Amino acid sequence: MSGIRYFFKSFMLWELLTGLRLTGRYLFRKKFTVQYPEEKAPQSPRFRGLHALRRYPNGEERCIACKLCEAVCPALAITIDSHRREDGTRRTTRYDIDLTKCIFCGFCEESCPVDSIVETRIYEYHGEKRGDLLMTKEKLLEIGDKVEAQIAADRAQDAFYR
Amino acid sequence: MSEDLLNIEINGQPLQARRGAMIIEAADAAGIQIPRFCYHKKLSVAANCRMCLVEVEKAPKPLPACATPVADGMKVRTRSALARDGQRSVMEFLLINHPLDCPICDQGGECELQDVAMGFGGDISRFQERKRVVKDKDIGPLIATDMTRCIHCTRCVRFGEEIAGVRELGATGRGEDMEIGTFVEKSVDSELSGNVIDLCPVGALTSKPFRYSARSWEMVQRSTIAAHDAVGSNLHVHVRRNRVMRVVPRENEDVNETWISDRDRFSYEGLYSEDRLSAPAIKRGGSWADVDWDVALDFAANGIRRVVAERGAQQLGALASPNSTLEELCLLQKLLRGMGSSNVDHRLRQADFSDQDVAPLFPWLGQSIADLELLDAVLLVGADVRKEQPLINNRLRKAALRGAGIMVVNALEPNFNYPTEAAMIVPPGDMPGVLAGIAKALGVRGGKRDKLLESAQVEPAHEAIAERLKNAGRASVLVGAFATSHPQAADLRALAGLICEAADAALGYLPAGANGAGAWLAGALPHRGPAGQMLADAGADAQAMMHDGLAGYVLLGVEPELDCWDSAAASNSLREADFVVALTAYRTSEMDEYADVLLPVSLFAETSGTFVNAEGRWQSFEAVAAPVGDARPGWRVLRVLGNLLDLEGFVYTDSQQIRDELKDKVGEARADNNAAWREPSRLDGKRSGLTRIGDVPVYAVDPVVRRGKALQGTRDACDARLGLNATVAAKLGLQQGDRARVTQEGGEVVLEVELDTRVPDDCVHVRAGVPGSVGLGPCIGEIKISKA
Amino acid sequence: MSEATGRKSDSLSAHAREEIDRWLERYPSDQRQSAVLAALQEVQHENGGFLTRELMDGVADYIGMPEIAVYEVASFYSMFELKPVGRHSISVCTNISCMLCGSDDILEYIEKKLGIKLGESTADGKFFLKKEEECLAACRSAPMMQVDHVYYEDLTPAKVDEILDKLE
Repeated sequence: MSGIRYFFKSFMLWELLTGLRLTGRYLFRKKFTVQYPEEKAPQSPRFRGLHALRRYPNGEERCIACKLCEAVCPALAITIDSHRREDGTRRTTRYDIDLTKCIFCGFCEESCPVDSIVETRIYEYHGEKRGDLLMTKEKLLEIGDKVEAQIAADRAQDAFYR
Repeated sequence: MSEDLLNIEINGQPLQARRGAMIIEAADAAGIQIPRFCYHKKLSVAANCRMCLVEVEKAPKPLPACATPVADGMKVRTRSALARDGQRSVMEFLLINHPLDCPICDQGGECELQDVAMGFGGDISRFQERKRVVKDKDIGPLIATDMTRCIHCTRCVRFGEEIAGVRELGATGRGEDMEIGTFVEKSVDSELSGNVIDLCPVGALTSKPFRYSARSWEMVQRSTIAAHDAVGSNLHVHVRRNRVMRVVPRENEDVNETWISDRDRFSYEGLYSEDRLSAPAIKRGGSWADVDWDVALDFAANGIRRVVAERGAQQLGALASPNSTLEELCLLQKLLRGMGSSNVDHRLRQADFSDQDVAPLFPWLGQSIADLELLDAVLLVGADVRKEQPLINNRLRKAALRGAGIMVVNALEPNFNYPTEAAMIVPPGDMPGVLAGIAKALGVRGGKRDKLLESAQVEPAHEAIAERLKNAGRASVLVGAFATSHPQAADLRALAGLICEAADAALGYLPAGANGAGAWLAGALPHRGPAGQMLADAGADAQAMMHDGLAGYVLLGVEPELDCWDSAAASNSLREADFVVALTAYRTSEMDEYADVLLPVSLFAETSGTFVNAEGRWQSFEAVAAPVGDARPGWRVLRVLGNLLDLEGFVYTDSQQIRDELKDKVGEARADNNAAWREPSRLDGKRSGLTRIGDVPVYAVDPVVRRGKALQGTRDACDARLGLNATVAAKLGLQQGDRARVTQEGGEVVLEVELDTRVPDDCVHVRAGVPGSVGLGPCIGEIKISKA
Repeated sequence: MSEATGRKSDSLSAHAREEIDRWLERYPSDQRQSAVLAALQEVQHENGGFLTRELMDGVADYIGMPEIAVYEVASFYSMFELKPVGRHSISVCTNISCMLCGSDDILEYIEKKLGIKLGESTADGKFFLKKEEECLAACRSAPMMQVDHVYYEDLTPAKVDEILDKLE
């Protein structure tokens, strides 16, 4: 008996149709595929993308070379050299993040006592040649300058939870 | 003994403690942790931080463990509710005014306040009011201050008073307005001042050269030995990415206790000086070229061969710095002797070698460093101990404060940080006379001695010194750097020996450099081989090599124009030489002129090796940082040179083999100063004209120190000047601030006149080892002065 | 003036030295620093009510103490002034007993009368109103003030006028 049922089922592509039923259902539903790059997925204010170094509104860099981010970085992606600047403050002479090592855990951001190193919402970047993904202090500050408004807004939104 | 031990109980653990000990000492000995800030085992008890509160049974309130002596049957609880509560409250008070600037504080990560706050403090601050702010003080180029961070433990104040012997820091104002500082704009000038950086439990006093350059957790702590004086202080070097970032003391109760001198602490800056030689260089046809090691070593070996072949082995000589390691010195003398020459010496600032045959195995302190504290009378002959050997001076200071009589025979009045009982400040030529007077007063008699001391005048001051030495339980005569560089050094040594014999005192020498003692053992001497082995034919000593001029020289870590007794002679003979190999860490314009090959060698902290200190302690160390550029350890360079010259016995794979070989040779032999002087034959020394007193300032003793930027900014770093007293100045028609032409054996320099009451009559003070006096003759000798 | 010896104690007058010597006699010879308070007081008195660095250095040299130790003492005690002040030093007690009996009003009256605030001196250099004077132990007859080492008690504005106007 079961042999006959099996014969007819396979003969009439029953299983295929069962499978296609799901496909058919989704075919007429509202689509949630994001048409990247035309469309982009929504981001949380805590999104951990490309790093940036921030400045104070008066243009002074925030980083004080405390090296907590360097110490906390589990991937050892951050390298910092510090010195005493002319005006007697503690500053970095070098702030490198090797993005090829970085695992985007956000610890650097969390450890920063002055909100200097942050992870922005930027995730679309690439490197074409060796060294392109080694972010230097200049590059990081530039990113910070570019998206400061967004960074500040995100920090403000998250301030309550911190 | 047993009645001096009391039974106490801390946290239920039964312990025994010495009567009179404080609870904290007993707890420390048992490894029980009690938090503290102001207590330090080497300083007096102040009990002003109150952090060490503990509960003592039957005491109504918690008591400070650092100021509560133990009593028999005492029961202490360090972690009870009462004790914890007390500790947490004290911590809260301490943090009231402490700024939250740990991220930029150099102490961050190694801060006692951070640690104790983590372990014993609360987690929130209830303090809402304004925090106080204290202005930072400028106390010189070595110590950076952030006085807002200060918690008033007064360790630095007590250190100044009790250890450094100069009270420069104090606590002014009271209550909220109390500040630690010098009150007036003033630098802290002690030669031990850097120790307050280690003592400061917070980040108020930190190292200025190190400021903001690294964080404590990035650095690796490695051990080595200090390379500037005969104490051989034990060091921890903090290294980051193979670069020395700072130097701190390593505790060794027998040698440096918990301190180190500023010279040992800050000289590391010299490692990274701009004129550091980073690649081998050779001079061909008058112009310099950087080359590979192979080329340079071949060039050097060929040059040495050529000198020996053309001018004979006797025309080859080697001068080594007494800061070189035992291994380097050993290979250097082996190399020279292998080539057939015994012209090798490290006694660069010595002029009188006439007693070298009877000298001890090596000139040593005559006692252990720790034993210096127990002395009852000390006669310092030509020794400015405070600047020469700061930590030996620290031991003598302890003796002096205990009541020992410190007496001085010198040409310049030293500035000690303890009272001296007698100071005979006489022109250098009269120093033997003074010692003879003391010897005569002590009743030195017999044979040749009668004749010798016949002419000696015994003055009441001599008698007083003699009396003091004779009646002291434990006495010592210490012969320092100035006496060693004296033209009649042998006589001074001999007279010191006679005095010691008569007064039953220990004769001690303060060897030059970090390895002055080791250099004798290694055989870096013209008349003796390794381990004091006597040689039939003595080579030329350092003076002879410089004065008579040789055809070829090998220099090891020496800048002869600054490091030699006779700067003019040294420069001249090197310039005249056919071939000069310089194993050096630095490249100077003088070297470019006289040298033919420059081989970059590593400095202390970059090489493994051994130093033998003044008490004969062998201290070996490993390289702790990478050499700069292409520099190689000196012993390796010498080994390869030996191989290239086809010499026997240059097969070593590490420096320990060289040391062990030498150690086997030395065996159990000990130096004996008492048997090691010969009686002087003459006691003249009166000379007409002016005598130069050319001592070497504390921060000019060797090439590394001379390049320590921070040290060179201190008040102890000084260039040459013409120091003279008012009488001499009047005779010469000179006034303060005048320019004077100073002439010595053909060399001439123009110096500024400075009136100095410390300089005796018939003498002028022109420092040696500093750029301003390069080109002058003997550091102690006749000198001519005219108005410029 | 004493003969110049090139030492820092040259800044002290002969009279001050005599006075210090008198105090030094009272203490054992190895406890010379005990005389520092009296010495500073004498020197301050001679100098018109305040100390200078030269004078403190002079005292340090004369007694044989580290200079910083003298600075510590001078800056600790409120009776020493380290900046030039007016000739007459007025200290109004503002501790609890005096405060309850109206010392605040007295103080305000003096401030208004002299036109200066606490811790200031009048422009003519006549008066100095000392800052933060603690209890002078005359609570029995509060409010009180001390003018040039003399106690004046049971003060009223009229009494203050009388006292201050009398001074030269």
